[in-house]
Amino acid sequence: MADIVRKQAVSVEVLTVRERLQAMDDSAVVTAFLGGEERAFSELVTRYQTRLLNFVYRTIGDREKAEDLVQEVFIRVYRHLHRFDRSKKFSTWVYTIASNLAKNELRNRSRNPLVLFQTVQKNSQDEDRPLQFEDTTSRPDDMYRKRHLREIVEESVAKLPEHHRNVFILRELEGKSYEEIAEITECNLGTVKSRLNRARNSFAEIIAPYVD
Amino acid sequence: MDCREFCEQHLAFVDDTLAGIELVRMQRHITECESCAKHDAKIRRALLLFRNLPCIEPSADFSTRLEARLKTCQEDQLAMTQRNLWRGAIAATVASAIMLGYIGTTLFHPPEAPRDIVLPPVVASVPEAELTSITTSTPAIVTSVSAGLTIWPAALFAEQVPVRFAHSKLELTNYTR
Repeated sequence: MADIVRKQAVSVEVLTVRERLQAMDDSAVVTAFLGGEERAFSELVTRYQTRLLNFVYRTIGDREKAEDLVQEVFIRVYRHLHRFDRSKKFSTWVYTIASNLAKNELRNRSRNPLVLFQTVQKNSQDEDRPLQFEDTTSRPDDMYRKRHLREIVEESVAKLPEHHRNVFILRELEGKSYEEIAEITECNLGTVKSRLNRARNSFAEIIAPYVD
Repeated sequence: MDCREFCEQHLAFVDDTLAGIELVRMQRHITECESCAKHDAKIRRALLLFRNLPCIEPSADFSTRLEARLKTCQEDQLAMTQRNLWRGAIAATVASAIMLGYIGTTLFHPPEAPRDIVLPPVVASVPEAELTSITTSTPAIVTSVSAGLTIWPAALFAEQVPVRFAHSKLELTNYTR
């Protein structure tokens, strides 16, 4: 009986710690982790895994590789969190790591055409997978149209030059401010604005024939 | 507002970061210029499509894989810390041993009493032969070289020579004669 009560007390304690971490902002969670609270890292992972996955996936266009890279981001965060300058935003730091890893991946691909071939293979396997994101209650032709449109949008984004695409995704998908993008991409504010403007125009030009 | 200015401001216009007056000018331009209105609609429609892309969720085994990698990472870090601790301990032991050795040597073999200070032998040189007295009755002429440096008469130099090397019979010459 006493054992059950003790177990319940422990689970309640874990729950309250988790709730407390959820209520904290990033900076406080980082401080908690550095203070020895290992569960704080899980909270950071929960907060950023989906956002980072989408960002990396939209940048490199390969889902499996994107997952690997996001894992690598978290490993690096875990290793170097004690070096993180806490006067800055944690999200900017995490996105900088992710952006650099995605950039390296694209650079490696351009050096190694074999990787490109593998990507094509993966994409063709994706075709055979069941649809995951569409509303299954829709009619089949609607689903097809949606899926087709999604593919067109993704292909159009992939056609943008790498440095334009990066800025475009950070702004349009992640909703980052110009200043944050400048910090993440290590460019000045003027360059960010210019790249974003060009990326928007190019993207609209590419996709216009399909949506008109 | 012309079309060029509209295009320049369009980024801020779409992001809704324009000041009130500028915003009104942009909106008015759209109503007046069909081409810019089309451009604006094209961009906004494209952005809407992109922003509405379905969100991708991590795969089911994402957390498991990450946990496994983090565990390995933790173990590596722990191993590295232990290795560093061992290295530190070894270095500290060696340093302590050297220190103890030195202290022991100092305690059991006290240093000998200081001896009298022995100075190195003085090397004396034979004094130079005495200078011949200045017998000339002509006044010394202070000449100067082309560079403008004065060449002092030997008598003045002689005054600066240490007494033991100075000629004892040095005579003063009357320059004013």
